Amino acid sequence: MDAPLDASVQKIPLVANQRSMEWVTEKVSNIVETRTPFWWWIAFCITSPIACMGLCCIAYQISTGVGVWGENHPVGWAWDITNFVFWIGIGHAGTLISAILFLTRQKWRTAINRASEAMTLFAVICAAIFPGIHVGRVWMAWFLAPVPWYEGVWPNFRSPLLWDVFAVSTYFTVSVLFWYTGLVPDLATLRDRTTSRVKKFFFTVFALGWRGSNRNWRHYEMAYLILAGISTPLVLSVHSVVSFDFAASVLPTWHTTIFPPYFVAGAIFGGFAMVLTLLIPARLIYPQLKDLITPKHIDRMAKIILLTGCFVTFAYAMEFFIAWYVGNPYEKFAFYNRIWGPNGWYWWVGMLFCNAVSPQLFWFSGCRRNLFVVYFVCLCVDAGMWYERFIIIVGGLYRDFLPSSWHMYHASWVEVGTFVGTFGIFLSLFLLFMRFLPMIAMSEIKIVLPESDPHHHGEEHGVNSGASE
Amino acid sequence: MKRVFEHPPEPQGGKKYWRSLDELAGTPDFAASLEREFPQGAAEFNGGDVSRRHFMKIMGASTALAGIGLAGCRRPEMHLVPFTRSAEWVIPGKFLFYTTSRPAARGYVPLIVSTYEGRPTKIEGNQFHPINGGHGRTDHFTQASILNLYDPDRYRCFKNASVDTDEAAFIAALDKIIVDYSANQGEGLAFLMEEDPSPTRERLRAAVMAKLPLAQWCVYEPLGGNTADAELTAFGSGIRARPLLDKADIVLSLDSDFLSPTEGTIEQTRGFTDKRRVDEPGHKMNRLYVVENRYTITGGMADHRLRIPASEVGVFAVQLAAELASQTNDATLAGVAQSLGKTKATASFPEGWIAELAKDLLANRGRALVMVGSQQPVAVHLLGAAINSALGALGNTMAGILPVSAPTAKIGALADSIKQKKVSTLFILGGNPVYDAPAELNWASLQESIPTVIRSGHLLDETSNSANWFVPRAHYLEYWGDGRSSDGTYVAVQPMILPLYGGWSDIDIFARFAGLPKPAGPELVQETFRQIAGPVPDFAAAWNRFLHDGYLAGSDSSTQRSLFFLSAATGSAIGEKASLNAVSGAGNYEVVFTPDFHTFDGRYNNNGWLQEAPDPVTRLTWDNAALISPVTARELGVQNYEAAGDTIEITLESGAKLEVPILIAPGHADRSISISLGYGRTDTGRVGTGAGYNVYPLRTTLAPYYVFTQQVKFTGGRGVQAITQQHFNMEGRAQIREGTLAQFAEDRTFAKTMGMDEELPKAGNPTIYTHPPFTGMEQWGMAVDTNTCTGCQACVIACQAENNSPIVGKEQVINGREMHWMRIDRYFASYDDTDPDPEMLVEPVLCQQCENAPCETVCPVNATVHTPDGLNSMAYNRCIGTRYCANNCPYKVRRFNFFDYTQRPIYPVKTPFGEIGGLHLGPLTTKGSPDPIKMQRNPNVTVRMRGVMEKCTFCVQRIEEARIATKVRAGASDNIKIPVDAFQTACQQACPNEAITFGDITEPEAKVSKLRASPRGFRLLEYLNTSPRILYLARLRNPNPRMPGADKLTSFQKKEKGGFAAEPSGAGDFSGGPR
Repeated sequence: MDAPLDASVQKIPLVANQRSMEWVTEKVSNIVETRTPFWWWIAFCITSPIACMGLCCIAYQISTGVGVWGENHPVGWAWDITNFVFWIGIGHAGTLISAILFLTRQKWRTAINRASEAMTLFAVICAAIFPGIHVGRVWMAWFLAPVPWYEGVWPNFRSPLLWDVFAVSTYFTVSVLFWYTGLVPDLATLRDRTTSRVKKFFFTVFALGWRGSNRNWRHYEMAYLILAGISTPLVLSVHSVVSFDFAASVLPTWHTTIFPPYFVAGAIFGGFAMVLTLLIPARLIYPQLKDLITPKHIDRMAKIILLTGCFVTFAYAMEFFIAWYVGNPYEKFAFYNRIWGPNGWYWWVGMLFCNAVSPQLFWFSGCRRNLFVVYFVCLCVDAGMWYERFIIIVGGLYRDFLPSSWHMYHASWVEVGTFVGTFGIFLSLFLLFMRFLPMIAMSEIKIVLPESDPHHHGEEHGVNSGASE
Repeated sequence: MKRVFEHPPEPQGGKKYWRSLDELAGTPDFAASLEREFPQGAAEFNGGDVSRRHFMKIMGASTALAGIGLAGCRRPEMHLVPFTRSAEWVIPGKFLFYTTSRPAARGYVPLIVSTYEGRPTKIEGNQFHPINGGHGRTDHFTQASILNLYDPDRYRCFKNASVDTDEAAFIAALDKIIVDYSANQGEGLAFLMEEDPSPTRERLRAAVMAKLPLAQWCVYEPLGGNTADAELTAFGSGIRARPLLDKADIVLSLDSDFLSPTEGTIEQTRGFTDKRRVDEPGHKMNRLYVVENRYTITGGMADHRLRIPASEVGVFAVQLAAELASQTNDATLAGVAQSLGKTKATASFPEGWIAELAKDLLANRGRALVMVGSQQPVAVHLLGAAINSALGALGNTMAGILPVSAPTAKIGALADSIKQKKVSTLFILGGNPVYDAPAELNWASLQESIPTVIRSGHLLDETSNSANWFVPRAHYLEYWGDGRSSDGTYVAVQPMILPLYGGWSDIDIFARFAGLPKPAGPELVQETFRQIAGPVPDFAAAWNRFLHDGYLAGSDSSTQRSLFFLSAATGSAIGEKASLNAVSGAGNYEVVFTPDFHTFDGRYNNNGWLQEAPDPVTRLTWDNAALISPVTARELGVQNYEAAGDTIEITLESGAKLEVPILIAPGHADRSISISLGYGRTDTGRVGTGAGYNVYPLRTTLAPYYVFTQQVKFTGGRGVQAITQQHFNMEGRAQIREGTLAQFAEDRTFAKTMGMDEELPKAGNPTIYTHPPFTGMEQWGMAVDTNTCTGCQACVIACQAENNSPIVGKEQVINGREMHWMRIDRYFASYDDTDPDPEMLVEPVLCQQCENAPCETVCPVNATVHTPDGLNSMAYNRCIGTRYCANNCPYKVRRFNFFDYTQRPIYPVKTPFGEIGGLHLGPLTTKGSPDPIKMQRNPNVTVRMRGVMEKCTFCVQRIEEARIATKVRAGASDNIKIPVDAFQTACQQACPNEAITFGDITEPEAKVSKLRASPRGFRLLEYLNTSPRILYLARLRNPNPRMPGADKLTSFQKKEKGGFAAEPSGAGDFSGGPR
């Protein structure tokens, strides 16, 4: 399935096979401009009913009550908040790639940033569903907004849940702006190429009159830089704030100071895995993308997965160490119960195998190059990160301080249906994105082509020279 | 709907006023026209040529025309109509309190009932009554009995041969019966009644007996027990024993659950726990020995407990009597022991148990008391009476009272008469014999064979459905009556509301037989009162005093104390009158039939509060189960799962079979199976339908309490069980702290250093937050004494009644969503996990009203906030239901409305896709709760909707009521501080043992402040620094140091400091983990 790797992966240029600028424009725009392929309809006919099922589950839950889920008295949050944290975590890779890698001049980001930013948006949309619907009285959720004229009551600014609302909404807004700003030059390209009057109208409107002038580029690059600067702290803050939902509580296993970095690392870990989960099949479907998303990109992302995987593994180990070291019997029990309790296998499979062990394969370059292995590890990490959040949330609740209140938790079909439904929503949105917008940032790719840098500055020294690492 | 006005009956006698000759003649046309006098909702016009159709045409045209101008575009106007004639003293918006009492076979429970605009809403104990000693005490049955009044399934009409009819038809039929039987002096007439110590009922019954001397009378109580029969033999006729627990220092319970409302009385539990208040130096504590087959709440309070099969209790009693006789050379006792001990059965008990017990009893002569389980055979009761006599208990720790009712026939005798066709008309007043009569009588077919059966009952149950006449039965809050409380005091029963469905009480029926009209008021009770009170100077004043106080002072039978004794002659005669039938070893296993905590004998089957109140020992709701010990479970190869138990099939020699799921009960005797009665009803209301397993088919007259099995085997099936507590082990966390009396004498603050509290900084927990400003004039707090809490659940039901908490149904309990604001945690503690004799501990847990409440900081919408007087309050209309507060509550006392429990049916609803739980259908089902249920609700407490979090508020409505009353009293003055202990919370008020004390903790005179100064005080999870406003007082046990196993408690503490060791093997953790 992959090109034979004769040379070292590191020798692969950012765009393989000496592709020209025209080639890039042609091949990427083609994805949008050609007739809707048959496979797309099949895929969409699978994902959209799943999305509808999810929406039906949500409608049922809102009309009937949170009781249609499996939550109970000690376990007030379960799949709802697990899914929220899971999707928010997925959403982290996009912004990290767009903002932090941009600021650190990691040019290889250009091939993957558009798709991963889109993925971020769709993941945040899926994430935002859950805090919205998990409350008992959805129609009163606007109490969360700081509008004091109702009853003269402000929201409680001490509550991490409120910080969450602000953090997630800020993150979503900035991510949309960032993604859209990056899209403007490419929308202009499509506008100029399209023959359909309808498409022309929309591309014209959304390209905001882009003419590719020097002035346009100056404004564009400044705006992009500023948004990258704004986004960078958000990458760290959003998941830190999400982790405060737990860290600011009193429950054993929730009440820990290491949660913010632990959660951020986990989010990047899971997010990169999800980017690869989507792009590896996309490369298969559109072989032209193989020249843009090269084994080198995959290799680097695998390395980031390895790095963040080691972070989370360290955090897991520290949790156990601290629980033992502080000598608090509640804390000790909770961690003992995590491993040996009735839901222990979640830990063994989800946290230990999927998150801690499987990424260790990426120490070996052969594994990083073998797309089967990469894909397997990414799937493991996707699942493992869901389990991690589930273990933290439900594990912290179902056996806490007073053993008399301990109660098992079992998910209901509605919860499962809602979660599966969000995958339907996510994938449907991603399929629509692939059909209607350029999934590779053409303008940015062109910037990293050797032609754009005739004086051989920077990373890519000529066509055949490798990256200077 | 045509409304029928219930005009008050015309007063009898005097001038008769009439409006027209038609009225005077009483023509039916006139009667109809009277009813139409107020034609609201009348379906059609009277005469004239305006037909309904014509009217509709005109109206339709008018509406259309009006619509053109949109003049009618406004909300429909509705009018609130005030009472034209209010009930006495009603002030809209305020409660009115009346005394009354609840009929119960073991003595009426004296009560004060709150009524709101003419409807009773809450029942409290009558604190003025002598047995209550200034504190209103109740039990969970009493608290829940108000729900029976408003039971929407109560049948609302008279019924004859399956056709609804009215009262007039019944009166006509009744009068015909009376006339017919007056001719033959009542031959062929029979009455089957419930036991009811009501002097008026008894007086009228005597009047009927005088008129119809040949009529047969039978009283049947399925759980009546053998006490009365035994007392007849031991003490001669006319005397019933009344144990005085408050006088006893040493109590031995021989299978008697006297602390539980299913077997004991409030007087007994109060007397017992009053002897366990030991905070003042020099206070003595009583000691309780319990011999029983299953853990009961009495067993949970024991200082020494011996678990033996119920069938071996007799052997134990014989051996104890022999031991006592040999230690004292008491010839009477020796004679009784010898004559009753002629059984071949043997059983061995732990070495030294009986000898040390006997020594302890003898050392406390005159202060010792033996309680015998009411269901134990007569012989065991006789042994108990003989032991009590030998220990000098009679007259000291046991008084005698006069029984109210004359002895009647047993149900077996009545059944014989029916078989011989000697009964042509049977009145079944209450009870439910088709369901609960002894199995061998086959009552259902007996009842079929009687030409006329007239049934007075609440529901269309098994008995009603096969009776010719159904007469709605008045609830005790609907009629005038009277009774004797457990100490013999004469108490009043006042109606709080007119009979909702025109129900008749026994008194009404007997009055008709005695030739009196159906009483419209208290006149019949007044007559009885006149007889009991004797000549009084001012009858009206005395009567008013009686109603005001609820009891007649000085009317108890305390004078009878000296009148009863067990003579040497009686003692030697005992052996001839009774024998201990062969006991243990006769069968495979013994099956013990126990009263049910929820339904008693089945009568409360349709009461949702009781169904959902967790059994204090097993924590089971909505169900009964076969309780077995872990060892027996291993023998049978069965186990429990997270919400289910393996099903066993029990076969008796008679061939009777029962399939029932097991529940492994730590502390249960081996080779013994306990199953509670009162479930598996076939005809009942919507609450009781489908719940549990019917055990009555195994129960016969000869073996009413325990029976030996022929075979017990695992069927391979499973039964679903809803248990509110899945984990029984305290995990060494010292939530409940206990020590021995000796330990307490040595280190009075032992409880303060148990568990994590030992690690606390000496200067107290530092805090980085400032406390909320506690600027209120009062600071509310509570003290909960675990030494007097038996775990009886009266508080749980009281809280539910006071705070409009919904019931959620079995399926939701399995899902862990019960809505009780307070729960009684029950733990077992043992030295190691092979110990078959764990200790049982209970602890009420409600919102701790933390000063640094973790729930408050996390609520994003400020729906739970602190008040200046220290309450952690809930604003229901602000809550959006994030559930974060509940997650962050370390005590897990917050309750979330996962569904619209008050608005949607909790029972399964038929749909085209099969039966689906009504809650899960949401908007597809009907909305709204049945009307009568709404009438019970406390108007001062919001009924919560779905999606809202709720929890204990320290009865904030009562606090505010007291505050308003204080401010009204204060007027312009500044004296607006609520007086000390001016009011109580619902749980505190209901507690029969005063284990819960609430009040202003800044007021040194308040009871709560005094208790909070106790050295036994500790707070739950102190190390979290939540600073709860509830202080628990540690539990104390008073073991006899010479008894085997006396050092058990101290040895736990040595093993795991301040904590408790592992849970009993095979039991406990049902939370699905690997075991």
